Amino acid sequence: MNETVLVVSDLEAGYEPGVPIVRGASITVNKGEIVVVLGPNGAGKSSLIKAVAGLVPISRGKVLLDGQDITAAPAHIMIRLGLAFVPQTENVFPRMSVEDNLKVACGILERRLAPARIEEMYAAFPDLLRQRRTRAGNLSGGQRQMLAVARALIVHPKVLVLDEPSAGLSPKFVSMVFEMLSDIRKSGVTILLVEQNAKAALAIGDRAYVLVEGKERHEAAASTLWDDPVIAELYLGQRPLRKDSARHTETGGAA
Amino acid sequence: MIDLVGYGAFFLTTALIFSLVTLGLNLQWGLTGLFNVGLAGFVAIGAYTSALLTTPDDPAGLGGLGLPILVGWLGAMLVGGVAAALTGIATLRLRSDYLAITTFGVAVVVQLVALNAQKLTGGPFGIGFIPRPFGGLAETPLLFNLSNLAIVSAVTLAAYLALEHLTRSPWGRVLKALREDERAAISLGKSARFYRVQAFAVGGAIMALAGALQAHFIGFIAPDNYLSILTFQVWVMLIVGGSGSNAGAIAGSVLVWAIWAGSGTLTSVLFAPEQQARAASLQIVAIGVMLCVILLVRPNGLFGERPRRARFGKLTKSTASESGS
Amino acid sequence: MSLQFVVDGLLTGSMIGLGAIGVTLTYSILRFSNFAHGDFMAWGTYATLTVVGAIAAMFGKVAPIAPLSFGWPLIVALVVGAAFTALLALLLDKVLFSRLRKQEQAIIAVMGSFGASMALRSLLEFIFTSRPTYFSRAIQIAMPVGFGIRITPDQIALLILTAALVLAVHLLTTRTQTGRSMQAMSQNPALARIAGIDVASVVRVTWVIGAALACVAGVMIGVLVQIRPLMGFDMLLPMFAAAILGGIGSIPGAVLGGLIIGLAEAGAVQLIGAEWRAAVSFIILMAVLIVRPIGLFGVRER
Repeated sequence: MNETVLVVSDLEAGYEPGVPIVRGASITVNKGEIVVVLGPNGAGKSSLIKAVAGLVPISRGKVLLDGQDITAAPAHIMIRLGLAFVPQTENVFPRMSVEDNLKVACGILERRLAPARIEEMYAAFPDLLRQRRTRAGNLSGGQRQMLAVARALIVHPKVLVLDEPSAGLSPKFVSMVFEMLSDIRKSGVTILLVEQNAKAALAIGDRAYVLVEGKERHEAAASTLWDDPVIAELYLGQRPLRKDSARHTETGGAA
Repeated sequence: MIDLVGYGAFFLTTALIFSLVTLGLNLQWGLTGLFNVGLAGFVAIGAYTSALLTTPDDPAGLGGLGLPILVGWLGAMLVGGVAAALTGIATLRLRSDYLAITTFGVAVVVQLVALNAQKLTGGPFGIGFIPRPFGGLAETPLLFNLSNLAIVSAVTLAAYLALEHLTRSPWGRVLKALREDERAAISLGKSARFYRVQAFAVGGAIMALAGALQAHFIGFIAPDNYLSILTFQVWVMLIVGGSGSNAGAIAGSVLVWAIWAGSGTLTSVLFAPEQQARAASLQIVAIGVMLCVILLVRPNGLFGERPRRARFGKLTKSTASESGS
Repeated sequence: MSLQFVVDGLLTGSMIGLGAIGVTLTYSILRFSNFAHGDFMAWGTYATLTVVGAIAAMFGKVAPIAPLSFGWPLIVALVVGAAFTALLALLLDKVLFSRLRKQEQAIIAVMGSFGASMALRSLLEFIFTSRPTYFSRAIQIAMPVGFGIRITPDQIALLILTAALVLAVHLLTTRTQTGRSMQAMSQNPALARIAGIDVASVVRVTWVIGAALACVAGVMIGVLVQIRPLMGFDMLLPMFAAAILGGIGSIPGAVLGGLIIGLAEAGAVQLIGAEWRAAVSFIILMAVLIVRPIGLFGVRER
C-alpha cells in the first residue's frame, strides 16, 4: 500500500544563486495520500513546492516522480510528466470563459479525449458546469479555486500540488475547498499541499511535514501532529496551539 | 595645420551639441527610466523656436521677431520643456511603452508641422539667416569656429555641472529610486508621476537648447535635420557612453560622432558620388547593428554603471509572495 | 464632401488594421512594442517584388487576371513573401528579441526593435535605393458604384482579401487550441507554462501571424500606392494608434481601430489636405490615451 509517488531528497533551491531558501529538504508522498507541508512564515514552504513544480531554480537534490527523475524539468513539461501545480494566486485565465480555461488545459491531451475529460470535470464540479460561459475573472473566490483545481486535474496527474488553496478565501469557501480536496483524494488522486490554515489542512491530511528555515524538522501523521508540543513551538513561534492545553504553557507564552 | 584646428573646432562643436542632447536623454532615460524615441522632435522644437524668435523680420513668414540670441535660447528651453511636460502628463500614468509611442508621434507631428506650416517654418526649405554668435568673425573661420566652440563648451559644461548636481540632490535620488523600484513608484502614485514629469520636462528643455545652439551655429535649419536618424544617433551615443553617467553621455557622444563623421568621410573617399547615398545607408545599418549588439552584451553601455543583478519581474514578484507565506 | 473618402478610408484602414494585428499580438503576448514591425511590412513587400521579378524572368510576361492589374505571379509571390517575412521575424527573434525580452527592463526590447528598425530600413535603401517603385504601372479604370463613389477592381479584391484574412485570424485565435494558448499567454504567462503550454511555440506562431499579415498589408500599399523603403516606417504611428485604440491584445479591436483611423485620415485628406494626414493618428492616439487608455475592447492590466 505504501507505494511512493513523489520523493524529494535533500533539495536546495532559491531565486538567486547562493541564497537558498529551501535548504536540504526531503519529503515523500505515498500513493493516494494527502500530505501537508506546514511551517512558520518565511520557512520556504511555497518555495519548496514551487521548486518541485519546476518554478524555482534548484541548486542541489533530486525530485523523483514514480521513480522518474523530474528535477528542474521546465514547468510546461512537469504537467506532461504527471505533476500538476495549482498556484496560490492568479491561477485561472481571467478573461477566458470557464470552458476555455479547461480547454486550454487539455492542450497536452490527445484531441479526441478532451471533450470527455471536460465532461468529467463538470460532473465533479457542477458549479463549473453552471458557469461554463462565465469569464473566470468573474467567478467567486471559491469557484475560482475550483476551476484552478479542475484545470490541474483534467489531465489525470499522478500528483496534485497546491500552494495554499485556502489563502484569501472567506471561511465558507475555506471549508468548501478542503471538502473538495478530500473528495478528490477519495477518487484516488495523490495530493501535496502547503497550507497556512493548519487546523483545516491537518483535518483532511494523512501525514504532515513541518518546514523550518528551508528544511523539514518534523514528520508525523496528521492526526497526532496537532497535539505535539515540539510542533507548537516550531510552527507557531513558541506559542501554545491551544490555550486549554496546559502542558504547552511552559514552552510558550513569551512570544 | 590651421585648417585642421578649424576642422577640429567644428567637429568638437557639433559633438558637444550632440552631447547636450545626450545629456538631456540621460536625465530622461539614464536617471529616470523614461523612454523617448522622439527626441528629434524636441530638438527641432528648440531650433525652430529660437530661429523664429531671433531672425530678422520677414514679410513672407510669421516669425522674425529679431530678439537677442539669448532670448531665443531661453524661449527654446521653455517651449521644449512645456512640450515634454505635456507629453509626460498625458502618458506617464500608463505603461512605459505608451510614452515611447507618444514621443514617436511627437517627432512625426513636429516633422509634419516643420514641412507643412510654410508660413511659420518655411516648409521644406526651412529658415535661413539665423543670427550667429560672433557672426562678425565669419570672415576668419578659425576664430569663428573657436569662439563658437567656446560658447558651446561653456553651455555643455554648465549643463553637465547642473545635471551632476541634480543627480546627487535629493531630487535625483528620488528619480533613481523610482527607476530602480517600479513598485515603489506605483505605490507613490501621483507624486512619483510628478517627479517623472519634471525630469522629462527638464530633459526636453535641454534637448531644445541643443537644437537652438545648433541652429545658431549653422545659421539655417530645415526639417531634414530632425529625422528619426537623429533620435537614433543620440540613443547610440547614450548607450555607448553608458546610460546613467553624465560624463559617459558626453564621452559617448564625442566617440560616436567621431566614428560617424570618420566613416562618412571614408565613404565619400571610397565611393563614387552616385553610390554615396547607398553607402551612407550602409553606415546606418552598421550603427544599428552596433546598438543591438551593445544592448545584448552590455545593456548598461560600455562605460555605464556596473550591471545591476539580473532580476526577473516574475521572480521578484514570487519572492514577495513567498515572504508572506 | 464626397463619399469617396469611405472607400479610400476602408482601404487605408485595411492596411493599417492588418499591420496593427501584428503590433497588438506582439505587445500582448511578447510584451513589447515592436518598432520594427513597419519594416517587416517593407521587407515583405520588397521580397514579394523580387519574387514577382524572378517569375517574370522565368516565365516571361504573364497576362493579368482581368479585370485586375496583376496576375498569378503576384499571388504566388505574396505567399512566398509572407513566408519570407515570417522567417525574418523568427530570425530576428532568435538573435535579438528573445534575448532582450529576458532582460530586466521590458523597454530594452523596445529599444532593440528601434535599432533593428533603423538597420532593416537602411539595408533596404542600400539594396533597392530609396527610389519608389511599383508592382504595375498599368492604370486601372475606377468603376462608379453610386453615391459618387468609384472603386477599382484591385481595390475590391484587396478589401475582400482583408476581410477573409481578418476572419481567418479571428477564428484561429478564438476557436483553436493554438489561439487559446495565445490568449492564455497574454493573460498569464506563468500560469500558461504551468498548464503545459509550450511558450516557445506560441511565440513562434505570434511572429508568423504578425509578420505574414504585415507582408500582406505592405503588398496592398505596393499595389495601390507605391513601394519605398520607408513605406512601413511611415505606417508605424497609425498601426500603434490603431492597436491602442482597439485595445491592446484585441484582434477585432486592432482591425476596427485601423478602419477608424483610415476613415479619419481619408476624411481629413478631403477636408484639410493630404499633407496633414499623418497628424490624424497622433490626435486619435492622444485622445485615446487621455480618455480611455485601455481602448475600445481593452481590459485593464491585471
